[in-house]
Amino acid sequence: MSLFLASFGFGLVTAAVLAIAAVGFTMQFAVTDVLNLAYGAVMIASAFVAYALNQAGVNVWVGMLAAAAAGAVGSVLLNTGIYTPFQRRGSAPITMVIVSLGMTLIIEFGLQAIVGGTNVSYTMSQGPTVKAGGLILTTVQLVIIGLAVVVMAAVHGLLRYTKLGKAMRATAANRSLARNCGIRTDRVVTLTWALTGVLCGIAGTVFAMNNGSFGATSADLFLVVILAAVFLGGPGQAYGAMVGAVIIGLATEISAAYITPSYKDVIAFLVLLIVMAVRPGGVLGATA
Amino acid sequence: MSSAQLFYVINLLIYAGVDIIACLGLSQQFGVAGVTNFGFIIFQAAGAYTAAILSLPNQSANGAFQSYIGGWNLPWPIPWIGAMIVGGLLALPFTFLVGRRLRGDFAAVGLLVTAVMANLLVTNYRPLLNGAAGLSLVPAPLQSKYNPLSAGYQWLYAAVTLVLAAAVFLLVRRVTESPYGRSLRAMRDNDIVADSLGKNLLSLRAAILVLGGALAALSGAILVGFINTWAPSAWGYAETIVLFAAVIIGGAGNHWGAVLGAILVPVGFEEATRYIPTFGPPGLVDDLQWVAIGLLIVVFLWFRPQGVLPERRRRIGAGAPPEPVEIPNEDVVTLAGSLRAPGLADAMGQDGSAVRVTGRPITRSVPSSVEADGGVVLRTVDVTRDFGGVHAVAGVSIEVRRGTLTGLIGPNGAGKSTLLAMLAGTMPVTSGQVIYAGADVTSVPAYRRARLGLVRTFQLASEFKRLTVMENLLSAVPVNRGDSLAGALRGRRYWRPDEEAAIARARALLDRFGLSGYADTYAGDLSGGQRRLTEIMRALMTEPTMLLLDEPMAGVHPRLARQIGAQLLGLCAEGMTILMVEHELAIMDEFCDPVIVMAEGTVLATGTMAALRARTEVVEAYLVG
Amino acid sequence: MLRAEEVRAGYGAGDIIHGVSLSVAPRTVASVVGPNGSGKSTLMKALTGVIRLSSGRVLVGDRDISGLPPEEVARAGVGYVPQIDDVFPPLTVRENLEMGGYLLAGRQVSVRIDHVVSVFPRLGQMLTRRAGRLSGGERKMLAMGRVLMLQPAVFLLDEPTANLAPKVAAELLTGHVRALAEAGAAVLVVEQRAKAALAISDYTYVLGGGQVLMADTPARLSASQEFTESFFGAVPQSPKLR
Repeated sequence: MSLFLASFGFGLVTAAVLAIAAVGFTMQFAVTDVLNLAYGAVMIASAFVAYALNQAGVNVWVGMLAAAAAGAVGSVLLNTGIYTPFQRRGSAPITMVIVSLGMTLIIEFGLQAIVGGTNVSYTMSQGPTVKAGGLILTTVQLVIIGLAVVVMAAVHGLLRYTKLGKAMRATAANRSLARNCGIRTDRVVTLTWALTGVLCGIAGTVFAMNNGSFGATSADLFLVVILAAVFLGGPGQAYGAMVGAVIIGLATEISAAYITPSYKDVIAFLVLLIVMAVRPGGVLGATA
Repeated sequence: MSSAQLFYVINLLIYAGVDIIACLGLSQQFGVAGVTNFGFIIFQAAGAYTAAILSLPNQSANGAFQSYIGGWNLPWPIPWIGAMIVGGLLALPFTFLVGRRLRGDFAAVGLLVTAVMANLLVTNYRPLLNGAAGLSLVPAPLQSKYNPLSAGYQWLYAAVTLVLAAAVFLLVRRVTESPYGRSLRAMRDNDIVADSLGKNLLSLRAAILVLGGALAALSGAILVGFINTWAPSAWGYAETIVLFAAVIIGGAGNHWGAVLGAILVPVGFEEATRYIPTFGPPGLVDDLQWVAIGLLIVVFLWFRPQGVLPERRRRIGAGAPPEPVEIPNEDVVTLAGSLRAPGLADAMGQDGSAVRVTGRPITRSVPSSVEADGGVVLRTVDVTRDFGGVHAVAGVSIEVRRGTLTGLIGPNGAGKSTLLAMLAGTMPVTSGQVIYAGADVTSVPAYRRARLGLVRTFQLASEFKRLTVMENLLSAVPVNRGDSLAGALRGRRYWRPDEEAAIARARALLDRFGLSGYADTYAGDLSGGQRRLTEIMRALMTEPTMLLLDEPMAGVHPRLARQIGAQLLGLCAEGMTILMVEHELAIMDEFCDPVIVMAEGTVLATGTMAALRARTEVVEAYLVG
Repeated sequence: MLRAEEVRAGYGAGDIIHGVSLSVAPRTVASVVGPNGSGKSTLMKALTGVIRLSSGRVLVGDRDISGLPPEEVARAGVGYVPQIDDVFPPLTVRENLEMGGYLLAGRQVSVRIDHVVSVFPRLGQMLTRRAGRLSGGERKMLAMGRVLMLQPAVFLLDEPTANLAPKVAAELLTGHVRALAEAGAAVLVVEQRAKAALAISDYTYVLGGGQVLMADTPARLSASQEFTESFFGAVPQSPKLR
């Protein structure tokens, strides 16, 4: 039982990191119809921004804010400078995927050229271990879970209660109708990439924290786990991504405790393949 | 030349050969068939591993420091042949992921994930293939007889590799430059239409995955025989991206492009870094190399997506010198020779008899069951189609007689297109029967109805854009010996007679419709009216008994519409039966008899346009809408 | 007042509409009818900025809106109800209306929603339901209500009764479309159901081959033989090309 609870705790941490990342990814897909496979690259680049500040003596949590800003800037540049021109030309979805892979190479290896090939880690204390109801987690891990909850609440609040959030949902649902309502959809899309870029930057930082040590290509495998959560919840569905993240996060960690840990990502991959083969719209169903 | 330099050159030649083979396989899948196989690298790895475990001795040998399955110490060439077989077989489960149901980018991501997963599984499950450390001390071919380190052996190895690369080039070219290759390209351009023309998409995709898989596996086997080691780090998804970059840059769909791409990217690039003085910290040059590959991918996709060597245009063309045709102005096509002024009179000869087309008739002979049934070719009995409670078509019973140009009209939402789809088999009926030439075809799928002679055209653009007009026509031929993998492999001599007969028929059709000068034009470059004509001609190539035309005049200049009408009438005079859905009521007036009017899912009336116009309920239906 | 002057437009290769001129005065309903392929939908898209004009002008009052993108056309006081994809399915009815009122100041939105609900009471009972779950007639009401939020000077409706059962269609046209004009707007309706459109219009344009073939009051058109024939049969086959 204690094994289960311990792994459940790790599962929650993974789910937390995954949720922040997956929601950003899926919302980018919702408004632009592009699977931005360079998302992991932007995540890890933002993590390195936090690292740079951290090396200069700044507390890593403060550095995370800089990472969020970097993520926002990077994502907006990526969409406006690369994806939108290709889409305006009428490029097929498969071309967009290849372009995003090309951008991944540029960003990740460009980053590695700057920071070098050795893994690094943040200078931070993990804080005292907390034992709560059988779960054993460090303070940092608890903060990450709490952060995810806050972020999810903020996203929910944005989408449900603000004009911008509703405009984002409207643009994702029917872009031309949104324009007929007077919504400047180009601006809405850019803002969406900026906000999801913030999520990307935060996700990158907490991912790096949770991993311990990280390097320029560390997010490659994690991107696939993100894809699993996104597809499970239905591509483009923010709430689906949240639920998908929790399921995948828990499933991978709990199974890792009972089967060999090295295969835990394989669970995510299998889920992804099964969902794609059986119900590409997402198991949790599209809303409306 | 020092032995180090010698070894370097040999190394280069072998890698070039291996990469050429891999790129040719990938170019076939990606460029020719339109299958984006992001899991491609798995096949190369499978080939390398298979060759390794077939040629390695049992795992207990060499001090048992490796653990792996197999280990039967088989002599060359068995490991290489075994590798190709495994590579081919492994492709079969992949077919489900590249099926039509999934969006292209979703499928690609699924394949990429599969490649990553496979790598992870092999890395972590050590007993399978020795995990992350991989396999080493893999025997070189015939190493018990010859010294693999000698210069002679190595030159021979390089020579064999290049010979194999040349053989693969010829093989791949033979497959692509054949009617089968044309079907692959048609599937790439528009798979739904290819399906309706009778191409078995599943078997085409499976075959191309198997072929590419076997070739990738061969490349892996050759490589592992030379470097004698193979590990998961050699086949991450970065390696797949490199191969894709090579094919895109070299030119997807062009075999010399694949060769060029292989030389430029995996080989050229890797080697270029050798000559750049190492600057900066270790690994910097490697990192910049990856950045450069990423840049090349994006830059090429933006500026030159067709690659350095784009896909060649296949000029089968007009036998006679091209007709002088002026640059088309919208939909106006000047007709050559046979047809002069448009209109009914011209479809008939001077003395009123039907125009005879020299050579083979376009319609196939009609089964006797039609004559027995009072000349009725197509009949429906109480056909209905429901969409969630709404009757799009409700209890329709019609008859179409042989040799008639029957019109099907009605206001929007009347159910015309739905009925047509049910007649063609592209949409199932909810209830009722469709009887064709006396046989119940209600549950026969569209492509089989097409083979029986009941062929439809589509309302929206459905030509194969990157095939020439001639190729579009040839792709519709129902029986061509070269239209199967086995047939293609047997070479031009085998399928040439069928092909030439088809070309002759196609040329006759082009002449008849006045498009001989456009035989080698890409269908995507034609004007709207010319595309319509191409579609009709393509349907005629299948030697149909009955044509179902879905708004053939939509968006066509009225003068051209009348020319098309005259052509259709000419076909009917030769025994063709045509059912045509149209909105251009003047065309109906001039050419169709009888005309069936539908409104709100049922048949309102049937008769000539003049008779229908006199019936108030018909006129009302149009006004009420 | 909506005015189109010699509008030509198409989708790239060639023009579909060849010089259409029309005008709609405030407090009136004008309809555009014509057989399939006559260019009605293309005309709508040209008027709302979805496609570019090759030549000609579109004016709302004194303001020239030719060539403006749809979001600016909306800001110029033109409300557009498309034929299909006319609501945001994942959003609730209330949220759909809020999007209709996107250009309004915050406080005004609820006021306007109350007004729209008074015009379409059925919507008031479904404010929290997702738009994707509504029936055909309810969706059309929502689509019209969304546009009503801004109280535009010009209302454009593209085949509002397509896919609706005849009774619902009749109710929609006679009840609600006329009411829009009565509230002060200039209403332009494109319709396949020519008779129904004539019944509620003050003026009707008959489109054929991308041109205005006839334009007159419904009374005079119904009495004309030429009108009936233009729908059924004798549509001139050679549009006057320039």
